[in-house]
Amino acid sequence: MGKFLKKYCFEIILILPLTLYIMYFTLVPVLETIRLGFLDGATNEFSLSNYNYLFGRDDFRKAFFNTVVIALLGLIAQLTVGLTLALMLKRAFKGKGIFRALILTPMGIPTIVSGVALLYIFDTQGYFNEVLYRGSEALKYLGLISETYRFIPIDWAEGGMRTILLVVFGDMWKVTPIVTLLLLAGLESIPGTVYEAARIDGASMWQTFTNITLPLLKPAITMTVVLRAVDLFRIFELPMILARKSTPVLATFAFEEYRVYNNPNVSGAASTILLVIIFTFILLYLKYVDKGEGLA
Amino acid sequence: MNEIKKDKFGTVVNKISFPLLILFTIATLIPIYILIKVSISKPADVLTQHPTFLIHNFTTKHWSKVLASGKLWPAFNRSFTVASFTALFAIIIATPASYVISRLDKKVKYVVILSLFFTRMFPNVGIALPISVKFIKWNLIDSNLGLVLAHLIEQLPFITWILVGTFETIPVDLEKSAMIDGASRIRALISIVIPIATPGIAVAALYVWLNSWNEFTYALYLSLSENTLPLQVYYYINRGGFFQTATYATILAIPVALITYALQKHLKSDSLGGAIK
Repeated sequence: MGKFLKKYCFEIILILPLTLYIMYFTLVPVLETIRLGFLDGATNEFSLSNYNYLFGRDDFRKAFFNTVVIALLGLIAQLTVGLTLALMLKRAFKGKGIFRALILTPMGIPTIVSGVALLYIFDTQGYFNEVLYRGSEALKYLGLISETYRFIPIDWAEGGMRTILLVVFGDMWKVTPIVTLLLLAGLESIPGTVYEAARIDGASMWQTFTNITLPLLKPAITMTVVLRAVDLFRIFELPMILARKSTPVLATFAFEEYRVYNNPNVSGAASTILLVIIFTFILLYLKYVDKGEGLA
Repeated sequence: MNEIKKDKFGTVVNKISFPLLILFTIATLIPIYILIKVSISKPADVLTQHPTFLIHNFTTKHWSKVLASGKLWPAFNRSFTVASFTALFAIIIATPASYVISRLDKKVKYVVILSLFFTRMFPNVGIALPISVKFIKWNLIDSNLGLVLAHLIEQLPFITWILVGTFETIPVDLEKSAMIDGASRIRALISIVIPIATPGIAVAALYVWLNSWNEFTYALYLSLSENTLPLQVYYYINRGGFFQTATYATILAIPVALITYALQKHLKSDSLGGAIK
C-alpha cells in the first residue's frame, strides 16, 4: 500500500481535489436525500411514512405517471426526428452547411428561453391557436366544415395529455440538434463500402436501412437513449414554466414539497423514487434492448 | 439489372427528403422569431385574441424599459460573476485530474469515465435539497459563492469528460522526451502538455461558462431575494410580465447563441454527452 502511494503520489495529488469535491457535494448529498426520505418528518425516526403518504396522494401519482409518459414519448419522438434529420443531413446536396447550422440553432438557446417562446406559441391567445383558427376559418370558407371554434382556443397548459405533449414538444425542440449530431456522428462512422456492397446486391433503400444502418448505428443509439433518458426523467425547467401545477412531474413535485410546503422528508422520498426510476430504466435498457452491444 | 427493380420506399424518400428538411428548419426557427417579435411589438399586436404574425408596430419601448429598470444589471452581474468563477474553478480542479485520467490504463479509464457519467444520473432536485439545507446553515443562501459551489457539482464531471478527450490526443512521448532531457514531471506537464491542451481547455471553459449562465434548478433552490438572469426571466413569467419576459429571455439568449455559434466547429459527439441539457 505504501509502495503504491509512493509510486502514484503525483497522480493522486492531481486527482484528489476532483474526487473529494464529487464525494462531498454529490455522493454525500445523494445519500443524505435517501436518508431524509426514510425519516419521519415529525418524530425523526426511521419509517416508511413518507412513501405511504406519497402514494396516497393523487397529485404524486399524477406526477409519477406524467414523468414516465413524458420520458417515453420524448425518447421516441426525439429518436425519430433526430434520426430523420441525421439521415437527411448525411446526404450530399447544395447548401447542406446552411441547413446544418440552422437546424443546430436551438443549441444556442437556453432551456428557460425556449420555454418562454413556447409559452407565447401555446398560450390560449397564442400563435398556434391563431394558426388553428385561421386554418379552420379557411376550411369554413371553402365549405368543408360548418362550425369552427367550438374547440378553439385550446388551453394547452390546462393539464392532461395535451400538456404532456406540449412539454414533450418543448424538450424535443431544444434537444433535437444534439440528438441529430450524436446520430450523425454514428452514421458517418459506418464505412461507405458496406453501402456500396448492398447496392451492388440490389438491396432496396428500406432493406439497407433496416439491415445495415440500424444495426451498425446501435452504439450511437444506445448512447443517445441513455443520455436523453436521464435528462427526460429529471425534466424540471420546462414543466415548471409551461405546465406548473396542472401537470406536475417528479422533479417539480419534489421542489414544491421542499420550497412551498417546507417538507424536506417528503421531497427526499420523491427524489429517491425518481433516482430508482432512472436506474431501473437504464439497467433494463442495457440488459434487454442493447444487450451489452452498444456501450463498449 | 438491379436498377429496374422497384424501390417505392426509396423513391418516396428521395422526393420528400428536401421539403421535409425545409419544414424542420422552419419549425426550428419559428419559436425564436416569435420570442423576438414579442419583445419588439406593441401590446395591441400581441395581447389580443388574434395575434399578428408579422411585425406591424415596431417598438423599442420594452427594451428601453428593461434596460432602464435597474433590475437587469444586478441579475446580469450576478449571472456573469457566478458563471466566470464557476468556469475558472472548474478548470483549476478538473485540468490536473483529467490529465491523470487520460494517462490511465484503458480499462481503469473506462471505469472512471463511467462513474463520472453515473453522477449525472442523480436527479438535480435530489442533490439540491440537502445542499440547500446545508447552505442555509452555512449562510450561503443568496450568495455568489454558494451558487458557484453548486454549479460546480454539475460542471466538474462535464468538463472532466471533455478534457480527458483533449489530453488523450496529446502523445505521451512528448512528455517522455522532455523528461529524458531532464525536466521533472511537473515541469513537463506545465511547459509541454498544458500549452498544447490550451485551446481545448478554452473551449471546455466556455461550455462551462454557458451552462452556468443558463443554470436554473440550483439557482432556484439557493436564491431567496437575489436573482440570477434565468431566475429573473422566471420571475416575470410568474408575474405575467409578458414583454419583460420576452426581453429578458432575449438578453439571456444573446451570449449563448453567439458563443454556441462560434463553437460549432468544435462540437464533437464525445464532448456532447455532458452538454445535453
